Amino acid sequence: MAETTQSPTVAGETIASVLMRNASEHGSDIALREKERGIWKATTWAQYTEEVLACAAGLDGLGLKPGDAVLILGDNRVRLYCGMLALATLGVYAMPAYPGTTLEELQHFADEANVVAALAEDQEQVDKILELRDAGAAQLKYIVYDDGRGLGFYKAAGLMSWEHLVESGSHRLNGEPGLRENLLGRAKPDDPAVFLHSSGTTDKPKGVVLSQKNVLAAARNGHAAGAFDFGEQVLAYLPMAWVGDYAITVAAALLLRFTVNVPERQETVLRDMREIAPTFYLAAPRSWDNILTTIQVGIENSTPLKKWLYHLFIERAMAAERRKLNGMSAGALEGIGRFIGEILIFGPIKDQFGMHRLKNAFTGGEAIGEDTFVFYRALGIKLRQLYGQTENSAINAIQAPDEVRLHTVGKVAPGVEVKIADNGEILLKSDSVFAGYYNKPEASAETLSAGWLRSGDAGYLEDDGNLVVLGRVSEVMHTKAGERYVPNYIENRLKFSPYIKDAAVVGAGRHELTAMVCIDFDAVGHWAEVNGVPYVSYADLSQREEVAALLSEAFLRVNKVLPEPLRLKRFVSLHKEFDPDDGEITRTRKLRRTVVEDRYQNVIAALYDGSKHVHVSAVVTYETGETGRVDRTLPVREV
Amino acid sequence: MFYRLSGIHHTSYVSDSRLYKIPADRNLALFFLALGLAAPFLVGSLYLNSYMLPWLVWTAAALGLNLVTGWAGQLHLGYAAVMAVGAYSAVHAARYGLPWEFALLIGGISASVIGSLFAFAALRVKGLYLALTTLAMQFVMDWVLTHSPAISGGSHASLQAPTFALLGQRITSDTGLYYVAFGWCLLVTIFMLNLRRTGLGRALVAVREKDYAAAILGVNSFYYKIVAFATSSFIGGVSGAILVATFFFLAAPEQFSVAVSIQVLAMVIVGGLGSIIGTYFGVALILLVPGVVNGLVAEGAGALGLQLNVESLAHIPNAVYGAIIIIILMIEPLGLGKLYSNIRDYLRVWPFDQFKK
Repeated sequence: MAETTQSPTVAGETIASVLMRNASEHGSDIALREKERGIWKATTWAQYTEEVLACAAGLDGLGLKPGDAVLILGDNRVRLYCGMLALATLGVYAMPAYPGTTLEELQHFADEANVVAALAEDQEQVDKILELRDAGAAQLKYIVYDDGRGLGFYKAAGLMSWEHLVESGSHRLNGEPGLRENLLGRAKPDDPAVFLHSSGTTDKPKGVVLSQKNVLAAARNGHAAGAFDFGEQVLAYLPMAWVGDYAITVAAALLLRFTVNVPERQETVLRDMREIAPTFYLAAPRSWDNILTTIQVGIENSTPLKKWLYHLFIERAMAAERRKLNGMSAGALEGIGRFIGEILIFGPIKDQFGMHRLKNAFTGGEAIGEDTFVFYRALGIKLRQLYGQTENSAINAIQAPDEVRLHTVGKVAPGVEVKIADNGEILLKSDSVFAGYYNKPEASAETLSAGWLRSGDAGYLEDDGNLVVLGRVSEVMHTKAGERYVPNYIENRLKFSPYIKDAAVVGAGRHELTAMVCIDFDAVGHWAEVNGVPYVSYADLSQREEVAALLSEAFLRVNKVLPEPLRLKRFVSLHKEFDPDDGEITRTRKLRRTVVEDRYQNVIAALYDGSKHVHVSAVVTYETGETGRVDRTLPVREV
Repeated sequence: MFYRLSGIHHTSYVSDSRLYKIPADRNLALFFLALGLAAPFLVGSLYLNSYMLPWLVWTAAALGLNLVTGWAGQLHLGYAAVMAVGAYSAVHAARYGLPWEFALLIGGISASVIGSLFAFAALRVKGLYLALTTLAMQFVMDWVLTHSPAISGGSHASLQAPTFALLGQRITSDTGLYYVAFGWCLLVTIFMLNLRRTGLGRALVAVREKDYAAAILGVNSFYYKIVAFATSSFIGGVSGAILVATFFFLAAPEQFSVAVSIQVLAMVIVGGLGSIIGTYFGVALILLVPGVVNGLVAEGAGALGLQLNVESLAHIPNAVYGAIIIIILMIEPLGLGKLYSNIRDYLRVWPFDQFKK
């Protein structure tokens, strides 16, 4: 493509101007595809722009003004993306929330900003917003929904369909000459693009407003660093409230004219991914782990011949990648093994998972386990690490495609400056860094000083310019003997076992390390079926002796690579999974360590006082919002 | 392994209902098409007109029977009679001086008319009774042929077919006759392939699965059974006519006896009910394997130095041939077509054992 050399210009551009440019220069190219009843309905840039403008005119007609906020609730939908762009055009805060957000969390959002309207996917989300309104958010006047199923008899004030909103908007656009230009020119680069929330592993999520300049700069930096190119095919499956989704499927997609493919539902993502075969794919390490587990379980189920071939080729390729990782050459015959393996095993696996055309594969959000990383490199997917946070529009440092290194997150992207503070914290400066937390001057002052963003991560720069991230500054811990460790690192190693879904390593200020783990119900359940282990529920399965033996193996493997003082001595298999609804993990599935350590303090106590059993009674929040108690006696296992 | 599906998505229902959604399937079909076209240049004339040609014509005929038995689920034991009607009508028309194009059409239409007239009566009963009724049709037709000199020329006579010609061109070469058979078989195959994605095809399948359930869905099962008989008889009639015109060169009653009816049914069942590729395999097995086994047994006996008398030499191949059919149906009761699709599925999910959730 001749375009690859061309740099997307940014100076003074807004979301509306980029959108307009795409519509006028590439109006008939496909901007979006959404799967509906098995058919991928395509939207061109011209149609996309028209829909956004009509929506903006409609919202403008409702009296939304800069400073107001609009909640966006639902899974990825084309119309919700249109709505976000329309809000950016008006300079109104678009505030996406996770579809599973609880009422309590929504209330926090509503108290935080002047939420005057909500854009909801379907009846379920509309119900939630109506509940929120009943709970006191009276300023929430309008609710716009995308899917009208089940909403026919709703009489709530201000409830309207997307079609209605867009129709009234296009009516205004036709009736009022000059409105179109007015809308297109209304927002300035410093006006808000999106109102996100920090992940909040430590306390309540803080509001992060990213300006249009921020997000477009991040996209430009990413392009300059080689993260993506013009016209990528992407799958919009990440939660809309995660900065990664906004950076890729909105900002970068606009600037570089991606085709964004929206899956039919959350449950069909794997199949839809195969149909689309994206060229760019960003996923949290957890998703990569999940796909790996699916592959491993699938192979375990397979016939002896297929199993044998798989192990033959994947183990060779992984060993070769490991050698590369350790700075050695891949070894002779590696090329032949890879060639045959690609035909027999790797190609078909990539085909099954829609990774056949994948050129730019990224993992971001947290550290990825070495085994997972090596596995995908062995498959022939050039998995790369990407480093960023909500506060700086997600894209800061990126690995080069042929870089097989795990401890660095790659070189800092052009347009981003990095320095290391005296306490080892990484400081960042770029156009993509936000201007401060919403209505939290103290927190902002703490995070931003003279344009430098304190990332909260400990790390250093290597001589060749590669950035190394060690872990959260607040997460580097010490045992009683003063041995330094990052719990997250050990947890990731544990989670590489397909049987462990979550883990929490404890031991700060203690003599030795121990862990609490949650089994992966699918993988262990399947293993139990194959091996004839009876069980009735998650709680039951997790406590079986056979499962404990399985988990012990995983612990022994992890202990092998840990230095002696950091070896895990004991563990408890918990009777329930960590759940974002219980606040134990964030919606991006990061461990909320303080919550977990507080909730399971008696388990932790039992891990250290030598008792053989511990009695727990956990509080479970059901989807209806009710809470219940689960009483269990959990054995403490020695590794 | 060879079935790569990633990146295949449909932006309209038209593209979703394409004949071949998987490139590997389409490529395989194109490969065999090319092979079929190139066959006269690849194999000798003996193989061409004594193996390939009858194989293709019988495949076309068996596909017609598969339409009524495999798709519409109606057992038909009088298919050879239908072919006879087509063959005799066409030969008579050609002898009368009509061009072969029209003669073939007349053969097809008359077979279709007689076949569906018979079906009107036969379809008042179902299942085994229907099978017996169609068998009666076979015997009626046999009787008519042997007892009406006006049609067959007498009880042991045969009717010479005029030289085959299309568009005024006399076709006498092996290659030419092969292409006629090939063209007809291709036409029937394309029709059958497309039948699957038409309303007619779906209605037939509904009738097969349960005729009164289909009636509840608004499918007139009697009507569709008649349509199935008429269409299949048309295909059978034309195939019979082509068989006489390109292979036998004369029409005789014993070419269309009850044994032939059973044989075509065997082709369909061994091949697989409702399977197109299976029909090709089934016909090959029933038609060509006896010859192959014969040759192998004779050669094997010679190589081992066994002195077998003529009788054993004639009977051992039959036993082997029967055993092959039994073994195949024991391994896969749904026939060779199912065997093929098992292999295809095995490769499609490679390296897994099943489709993931």
